[in-house]
Amino acid sequence: MADVSKLAPGQKVLMQGNEAIARGALEAGVSLAAAYPGNPSSEILQTLADSARSAGIYVEWSTNEKVALESAAAASYAGLRGMASMKQNGVNVAQDFICNLTISGTKGGLVLVTCDDPSGVSSTNEQDARFIARVACLPLLEPATPAECLKLTKLAFELSEQIGNLVVLRGLARLSHTRAGVTPGPLPEAKPRPHWDPNERWFTIPVVPRHQVMLDKLAQAGELIAAAGVNYYDGPVRPELLVIASGSSRLYADEARRLVGAGGRVGILHMGATWPLDQELILEHLARADKILFAEEVDPHIESGVKSIYAQHVRELGLKDFYGQETGHKPPIGELSPSRVAAAMADILGLPWQETDPAYLAKAKAAQALVAPRQVGFCPGCPHRASYWSMKQVLSADGREGIVSGDIGCYTMGVLPTGYERVNAVHCMGSGPGIASGLGKLRSQGFEQPVISVVGDSTFFHAALPALVNARWNNSDYVLVVLDNSATAMTGFQPHPGTGSTAMGQAGTAVDVEQICAGLGLPYTVLDPYDLEATQEALYDALQIGGGLRVLIFRRTCALVQNKRGGHPWRMSVDPQLCRGEDCGCDRFCTRVFRCPGLVFDQATGKTVLDEVVCVGCGVCAQICPAGAIKARPKEATA
Amino acid sequence: MVPPAASPAPQPTGLERLLAEVINPGLCVACGACLGLCPHLIFLDGQVAAPDACGLTSGRCYGFCPVAQRDVSRESQGPIGPVLGAWQGRATSKDLQGRVQYGGVVSELLALALDQSMVREAVVTAAGLRGTPQGIRVTERTGVLGAAGSVYAGGGALSSLNQALSEDSNHPLAVVGLPCQVQAVQAMKAHPQQPQAARRIHLVIGLFCTMNLPWRGLRKLLARHGVQAPLSRADFPPPPAGIFQAWSNGSYHELPLDQVRALSYPGCAGCPDLTSDGADLSVGACEGKPGWNTILARTHAGAGLLELAAGKGLLELEPAQPASMEHLTQAASDKRKRATAWSEERRHG
Amino acid sequence: MKALKYDPLDIVVTGVGGQGNVLASQVLGLALLTAGYEVTVGETYGLSQRGGSVTSQVRVSSGPVLGPMMPDHRATAIVSLEPLEALRLLGVYGHPGVVVLTNDRPLRPLGVLAGEQLYPEPAELRATLESLCAKLYWLPATAAALELGNHILANVVLLGALCGLDLLPIGAAEVEAALGDMFPESKMALNREALAKGLALVRAA
Ligand SMILES: Cc1cc2nc3c(=O)[nH]c(=O)nc-3n(C[C@@H](O)[C@H](O)[C@H](O)COP(=O)(O)OP(=O)(O)OC[C@H]3O[C@@H](n4cnc5c(N)ncnc54)[C@H](O)[C@@H]3O)c2cc1C
Ligand code: SF4
Ligand code: SF4
Ligand code: SF4
Ligand code: SF4
Repeated sequence: MADVSKLAPGQKVLMQGNEAIARGALEAGVSLAAAYPGNPSSEILQTLADSARSAGIYVEWSTNEKVALESAAAASYAGLRGMASMKQNGVNVAQDFICNLTISGTKGGLVLVTCDDPSGVSSTNEQDARFIARVACLPLLEPATPAECLKLTKLAFELSEQIGNLVVLRGLARLSHTRAGVTPGPLPEAKPRPHWDPNERWFTIPVVPRHQVMLDKLAQAGELIAAAGVNYYDGPVRPELLVIASGSSRLYADEARRLVGAGGRVGILHMGATWPLDQELILEHLARADKILFAEEVDPHIESGVKSIYAQHVRELGLKDFYGQETGHKPPIGELSPSRVAAAMADILGLPWQETDPAYLAKAKAAQALVAPRQVGFCPGCPHRASYWSMKQVLSADGREGIVSGDIGCYTMGVLPTGYERVNAVHCMGSGPGIASGLGKLRSQGFEQPVISVVGDSTFFHAALPALVNARWNNSDYVLVVLDNSATAMTGFQPHPGTGSTAMGQAGTAVDVEQICAGLGLPYTVLDPYDLEATQEALYDALQIGGGLRVLIFRRTCALVQNKRGGHPWRMSVDPQLCRGEDCGCDRFCTRVFRCPGLVFDQATGKTVLDEVVCVGCGVCAQICPAGAIKARPKEATA
Repeated sequence: MVPPAASPAPQPTGLERLLAEVINPGLCVACGACLGLCPHLIFLDGQVAAPDACGLTSGRCYGFCPVAQRDVSRESQGPIGPVLGAWQGRATSKDLQGRVQYGGVVSELLALALDQSMVREAVVTAAGLRGTPQGIRVTERTGVLGAAGSVYAGGGALSSLNQALSEDSNHPLAVVGLPCQVQAVQAMKAHPQQPQAARRIHLVIGLFCTMNLPWRGLRKLLARHGVQAPLSRADFPPPPAGIFQAWSNGSYHELPLDQVRALSYPGCAGCPDLTSDGADLSVGACEGKPGWNTILARTHAGAGLLELAAGKGLLELEPAQPASMEHLTQAASDKRKRATAWSEERRHG
Repeated sequence: MKALKYDPLDIVVTGVGGQGNVLASQVLGLALLTAGYEVTVGETYGLSQRGGSVTSQVRVSSGPVLGPMMPDHRATAIVSLEPLEALRLLGVYGHPGVVVLTNDRPLRPLGVLAGEQLYPEPAELRATLESLCAKLYWLPATAAALELGNHILANVVLLGALCGLDLLPIGAAEVEAALGDMFPESKMALNREALAKGLALVRAA
C-alpha cells in the first residue's frame, strides 16, 4: 500500500475505498489503529501501517478483532483517537466487548470499521454486520464512494467524541476495493498528549441507569447526524416511487432510474447514516410518496426500521406500498446490482425492462456450456497441498473414517478438490479445535473415529488457544495439526505473532508455537510437509497413540512468500519415456489426483508435461509419481 | 445390413471391483498382489487401502487378487496338489539355528539359488516399520537370513515383486509366499498386461498355511498383553498347547490361542489351499519332529534345487513319513471342504 | 476534456488471478481520471491469487459518479487476458454491440488440467466469441509479451491494443503517463514497447 499521509491536500487522486478510510482516519488525527487481517478490510490497516512512520501514529496487527478494538479503546481512554477495522466476522469476535463498551462509554474518538462482504466473495458468510448498531445502540455510517469513505470516517471520529461512544462505519467489499477520485483534506497539526485522568473510570455498573445514558447518547447522535447533512434527498418533490437506499445501492438506484427511463419519476433518499434512522426526514419523504422501495445490502435493516416508524404514524401518512425484501424486490441473499434494482423499479412502475436482445441472451447463455468453471486451488508448490495429501493418504490407510475439523485460512480450501475434499467442517476462526475437542470427548459415548484439527499459524493465535486449553484440561483425544506457513497468506501476507515482525515493520517478539505447546504440556513434533514419507509416518503414529491432545507442526513457508524469498530449489521435468500416462499402473495420478497446476496432461501424446511457467519447483510431485518419471534436479546445477 | 448383436457391457475388472468384492467387505488377506503396481493402492501398518478412485475399468490389481480369483473347486491334482517328491528335512548350517522358523529349509534353498545365480533377486517377508511384516528384496544370502523366521501376519510382500517386475531389467527372480500369494504369482504369470512375470519369475517357494493374522490387530493384542512390537519370531505350537508364542526383544510371551485365532483374516476362511500347490517347492512344519520341515517338490526345477542342496550337504533330507503325509492330505482336504462351505454360504446369504 | 463517444463508457477487464488485470484497470482508471473524467474502478478479489477468475470494471462518465458494478449486458468493451474468460463474461455483460479484445493464450482451469472438464478448441472458442460481439480482436498478447521477455506484460500489450481502437477519449500517451506513475523509469522502456506492440496488433487486425 502507499503512504497516504504524503498526499497533497486538495489534489484529486485515484484512491481505493479502504485507502480513503485510512486517509480519513489520518485527517481525523487517529493515534492508534489496530486490526486483524480479513478481506475485504485488510488494506485499511496496511495503508495506515505504511503511513505510520511519517504520520507519527501507532499501528498494529492484533491477534484478533476483539483485542484490536480493546487496544483502540485504550487510546480513547487516554484521550486519543483510536480505530479498529475488521471484516464482518470480526464484529462477532469483538461483540462481547462492544456490548459492554457502549455502556461504559468512550473519551477520545473511537471508530469501528466493518467491511461487509455481500455474496461472500472472500468470506465464509455474507453476514450484515449492521446488526451491531442496533444491538449495541451505536451510530452507524454507510459511505457509498471512496470520497465518502474519507468524509464519513472523519465524521465518525467527531461524532464519537461528541457523544462519548463508539461509532460504526460500514464498508462493503465492492466499495473497499473500488477506486475513484478522492480529494484529500489537510492533516491535523498537533495531537493531544495521552493521559488517563485517574479520576475517570469506565465500567458498566450500575447497569440500568447507565443503560439510559447509552440511549441518550444515541438520541444525541441522531440530532448530530441530522445536522451533518449526510442523509439527503435527490429527485422530484413528489416522486411516484421513493427509493430509500444506503451504501453502493444508492448508486445502483441512481443508475437504475436512468436505465429504465424513469429519471423524473423516482426520488432517492440517500442514507449516509442508517442508525439511528433520521425519523423526521423519513416521515417527511414518506408523506410525499405512495410507493417506497428499499435498496440495501444484505439484511432489511433500513426496511424494518422505516416500517416501524411508519407503523407509529400510519394515521397521518395513510396507506403506502412498500417494496423490498418482503415483496421480493430486494433479494434476501447476495449482492444488489444496478440491474437488479432496475428490474425492481420497472416492475413497480410498470415499465418495460430488458437487459438486451432476448435472442442474444439465449445465444450467450447457450455458449456458457463451453465455459468450464474456474475452481480456486492451492498455488503451485503450496505446502497445504502436500499436507492434505498426507492426511488423505494416512486417514485412508488408518481406515477408521477419520474426521478433519477445518479452520480459516488458505487451508480452508481443504473442503475443495484442491485439498482432496479432506476437510469435514469449517466455521469461524478457532472453531476447528473447539469442534475437535468435543469430538475427542465423545469417546465416552462410543465415538471411535480419529480426529484431526487443522489450524493455521495465524489462526492458532487468533482464537484456537482457549479451545486447546480446554482440550488439554479435559483430556480430549485428538491430533492438532498446525499448518505453519509463516504467513497470513489468505489475506495478503500480514505478519502475525509467530513471525515476530509487526505491522509497522519493527521487530516484535516472536511467539513460539512450540513453546506454547510445551507450556500446555502438549507433546509436539515439527515436520516438513514437503517430506511426504516422514510426515505420513508421524501422522499415522500420532493417530494410533490416542489418549489426549497431541500436536504436529507442519512447517513450510507459503509458496508465494518463498517465491519472493529466492524461490524453490528444484528444476522439474517429466520423462516421457517413463511416464505411464493413462495406463494401468498410473492413470494420470499427478494431474487427475494430485492436481498441482504445474502438471498438465497432454491429450495428444498421452503423457504428462510440466508447465515451466506455473511450476515453482517445490519437488513434491516427484515423490508421488509411481514411475519416477517426474524428476527434480537442483536449479543451480542446471542454470 | 444385419445389426450387430448387442454384446453385454464387459464387467469392470479394475480397482472399483476389487474394492467392492474384496477390500470393502473386509476379505483382503494382505498378500500384496495388487500393491506396487500403481499409486492407487497403498499398504500401511499391515493394511491395504485405496485413498482415491482409479479411473480405469480394467486393470491388473483385480486380475492378480487371489481372493477375487479364488477357485475353490480346483481338486484335480488331489488335496495337496502335484507332488514329485515328499521329504522331511532341515538345514545343516549352524548360522541358521535360532533364526529360522523350523528347519530353515526355505532360507537355505533361497540362499543357495542366489549363491548359484539361478536367480539374482528374491522377494521375502521381514519386519519393517513398527514391526509390520513387509516385502523386501534381497540379493544375497545375508539378506535371506535377515528375513528368516515368521511372525504370522500379512505383509503384502508381493508388492515388492511387482516393483521388481516394473523395473527395466531382466534378471531372474525368486519369491517365497503363502498359498494365496503363490496363487497370485500364477495369475501374474498368466496376465496379458504383465508378460515379464512369466519370463522373470524362476523360483516360487510356497509355505503351508491354515490362516494368517492382520498385523494391526495382532500388534494391538500384543500391546494389551504388554508385549511391544517388533517381534523377532512367533509360533503356533501343535495342539493341545492352546497358546500363541511370541519372542520380542529376547523375551518370551504366551498369548491365549483363542484370542489370537479370533483375529485371523476373514478372507482366510475361503482359501482352499493348504500347501501352496502352484509352487516349485512347498515347505511346512514337520509333524512330530520339532525343528524340521516337510518339503514337497512339485516341479523339476524345485526338485533339482532340493537335490543340489542335499548334494552340497546344506540340507539333511529324509523321505516323508507316510503317516504324516496322510495327516497332511487329510488336513488339506478338510481345508478345501471348509472353504467350499464358506463360499457357498456367502453366495447364498 | 473530449466528449465521450459512449457515456457511460464501461470497460470490463478480466483474466485469471495473477495475470495483472487489476493493475491494467488501475492504469486505465488513473489515465482517465487525470484526463478529467469521473472514474470508478471496481475490483473483485476473493481468492484471486489462487487460480480463480478476476474481473475489474472501469467505468467512466462525464457526469454522475457511477457505482462499482455496471449493469448486466451493457459493457462497451471486454478486455480479456484469457479467451475463455472473455466468453464467460459475455454471458454477463455481452450484447450485440460489445467489442471484445482478448489474448489468444488459454489458461486451463484446474478441472481441465485434472481431466474432468474440457477446454474448447481455439477455433470453436474464437468463432463463438465472434458470434457474440460486434467486433472481436483475437490477439497474441502473451506471445508479444514473451518477445519482450516476460509473459506478465500481456496486460500492457492489451492496454496498447485498447488505445488503438476508437473507444477511449484518451490515447496511448496518456496511458503511458499513468504507467509512469506506477512504475520506476527503469521498467518503463519495456512497458512502452509493450504498449507499442499492442497498438501494432490492432492496427494489423
Ligand atoms: C502366516 C503363516 C502361516 C503358516 N501356517 C502353517 C501351517 O498351518 N502349517 C504348517 O505346516 N506351516 C505353516 N506355515 C509355514 C511355517 O511352518 C514355516 O514358515 C515354514 O515351515 C518354513 O520354515 P523354515 O524354517 O524353512 O522357515 P525360514 O527359513 O525361517 O523362512 C521363513 C520364510 O517365511 C517367509 N515369511 C515369513 N512371514 C511370512 C508371511 N507373513 N507371509 C509370507 N511369507 C512369510 C519369510 O520370507 C522367510 O523366507 C505358516 C507360515 C506363515 C507365515
Ligand atoms: S498463498 Fe501460500 S498458503 Fe495460500 S494457497 Fe498460495 S502457497 Fe498456499
Ligand atoms: S504420475 Fe508419473 S507416470 Fe503417472 S502420469 Fe504423472 S508423470 Fe506420468
Ligand atoms: S514441483 Fe511439482 S508439485 Fe511442486 S510446483 Fe512444480 S509441478 Fe507442482
Ligand atoms: S492403475 Fe491398475 S492396478 Fe492401479 S488401481 Fe487402477 S486398475 Fe488397479
